[in-house]
Amino acid sequence: MIADQSVSGENNAVTEGMGLRIAALLVIVAALSVFVLWSVNPVGSGSEATYALYLAVDLVAVAMISYVQRAIARGGRMARVPLVAGCIFIVVLVVAGLYLQSA
Amino acid sequence: MDEGETRHDGSGFVDRVMGWFDSRLGLSHQMLRPAPQYSINPFYWLGALATVAFVIQGVTGGIMMLYYVPNPTQAYATTQYIFQVVSYGTFLETIHLYTAYAMIMLAFMHLMRGYFVSVHKRPRELMWVTGMVMGFVTLGFGFTGYLLPWTIVSKSATDVGIGMMGALPQPLANWLTFLVVGSGSDAGELLRFYDLHVVVLPAVLLVLLVVKMYMLEAHGVSEPTTGMDSLPPKKKKLIPIFPDVSFYLVELAALFGSAVIIVSVIFPLSLPPEYSASLAGQYVAQPDWYFLWVYQILKISAFEEAGLAVALSVVTLIFIVLVLLPFIDRGKIRNIRERMVYMTLGAIFVAEVAVLAVWGYLTPGQVIPDETAVLVLGGTALLVTLGSVVAYKAVFGGLNVYLKGRAKSTATAAEAPSLVAPRKVSSRSAAVWTSVLFVCFLVAGAFFIGLSVNGVIALRLGATGAIQSLAVSLAGLSLIVVGTMFFLYRLDLGTGSIKRRIRAFELGWRE
Repeated sequence: MIADQSVSGENNAVTEGMGLRIAALLVIVAALSVFVLWSVNPVGSGSEATYALYLAVDLVAVAMISYVQRAIARGGRMARVPLVAGCIFIVVLVVAGLYLQSA
Repeated sequence: MDEGETRHDGSGFVDRVMGWFDSRLGLSHQMLRPAPQYSINPFYWLGALATVAFVIQGVTGGIMMLYYVPNPTQAYATTQYIFQVVSYGTFLETIHLYTAYAMIMLAFMHLMRGYFVSVHKRPRELMWVTGMVMGFVTLGFGFTGYLLPWTIVSKSATDVGIGMMGALPQPLANWLTFLVVGSGSDAGELLRFYDLHVVVLPAVLLVLLVVKMYMLEAHGVSEPTTGMDSLPPKKKKLIPIFPDVSFYLVELAALFGSAVIIVSVIFPLSLPPEYSASLAGQYVAQPDWYFLWVYQILKISAFEEAGLAVALSVVTLIFIVLVLLPFIDRGKIRNIRERMVYMTLGAIFVAEVAVLAVWGYLTPGQVIPDETAVLVLGGTALLVTLGSVVAYKAVFGGLNVYLKGRAKSTATAAEAPSLVAPRKVSSRSAAVWTSVLFVCFLVAGAFFIGLSVNGVIALRLGATGAIQSLAVSLAGLSLIVVGTMFFLYRLDLGTGSIKRRIRAFELGWRE
């Protein structure tokens, strides 16, 4: 995502339509994480960690949305690897957040 | 672009939203100089990331200011209050500290990256000087902010720093001490540090940032070291700051923020005990990691007591050379492959700073014997030089050609890289091994010199077995001297002239 991926191969590319659908999902994820942020009990170190993790989810989602928008503006094709890596990262953070909340 | 015309005139949702903002704010009208496509790379935006860290610190610091009282009797209690009572207080403190660390690290990376790609050359000399001053201000943030929690760790470390100021030449020592300590009372010192941290330094940094941005706007992003001709047309294309570059910066900033947050979750901060004079006597003072390398230099036994002024002069000289670098390194060549000496010097600087910092962390409060310092610092310099020479020869010189030549023995001369003709492969390969061997001799020589000095000192102190160790180290040193002489003799024999050989070794990759 960070390095310019515009030279990625045809088979490793995501089209504009798909990118927009991913961006829409990311907006939902970001909105949900913001909602969870405000619902976390602010007392205690565990809840601070949960808050921080959902904030991180939000930021990663913003970064990915920005990447999708940039790629669309560039011509509509984007590399699959950063998107998949970002999604996995978000899932890991959400699972860690849920684990901390339940602990 | 005409007035009223917008860049976002598509029918998509994003385009319509962007168009709405564009038509009201005029964002697509060129306000800032467009950036070239090749600058879409995180290494071009390390300074921007340091600025993001500064903004995060401004926000978190501003919230903490609501609770913090800069008075020695209340500073620790109010910091503890932020940690224990304020919602997400520990998170705030942790983020504030870690972004400060990140800002210092990013500033250092920005400096070294700029050095390695020669951004200090004409016409960007003043950008470099401004950036260096911004770097000092960033270190000032670290120094002044460290005291504010009034813990045993922070107060002891700050006292070490203030003690160092006293060793500077007069009247500079008195001026600086008065500036940061005032009358000498704890209350005056803390208040001055607080004022510097939250008012003076941010104001100075913002002004310098504006000045640097102005110069960036005037000169644009620096060209690649290999020149614009080496780039494909696609990479040379100019892209507008908004939205293209801005979205890229949002990406970087968001990922940077999430990284800091995750680190703060994994390693949350805890508050050390409060400072008290009685507790300070039991604690070994140690500055924070970014000053450890300077502190480690000052711990070398030769620089103890009267030598402190010499050590500080050495450190000051390093900083002065860095600030004035554009006026020292005035050549036009920016290509890395033609700047082996400067690249090696930069690599040695980075390695020495890292070694000194880690070493300082591992040896708190210990005085470093002179011979150990010579061995470690000299050895580091020699090893880095060796690595640099080998890397240069491998990447730009004959080794890669030699290896490629072996793999493709049938390749024609036309297919071989233009840098080096195939018929010169053997001499270039010899140059690599000559360089390696020569540096090995130097490393071993430095090692045995250090051991010999150590043996002499041990002998004077009457240590048992000192004479044997001295004999062994002197024998080793003699072998190295004889080996080096034989090596030079063979070189001269092989090439007819050592001077010619050294020239071939230095300039081989340019021929």
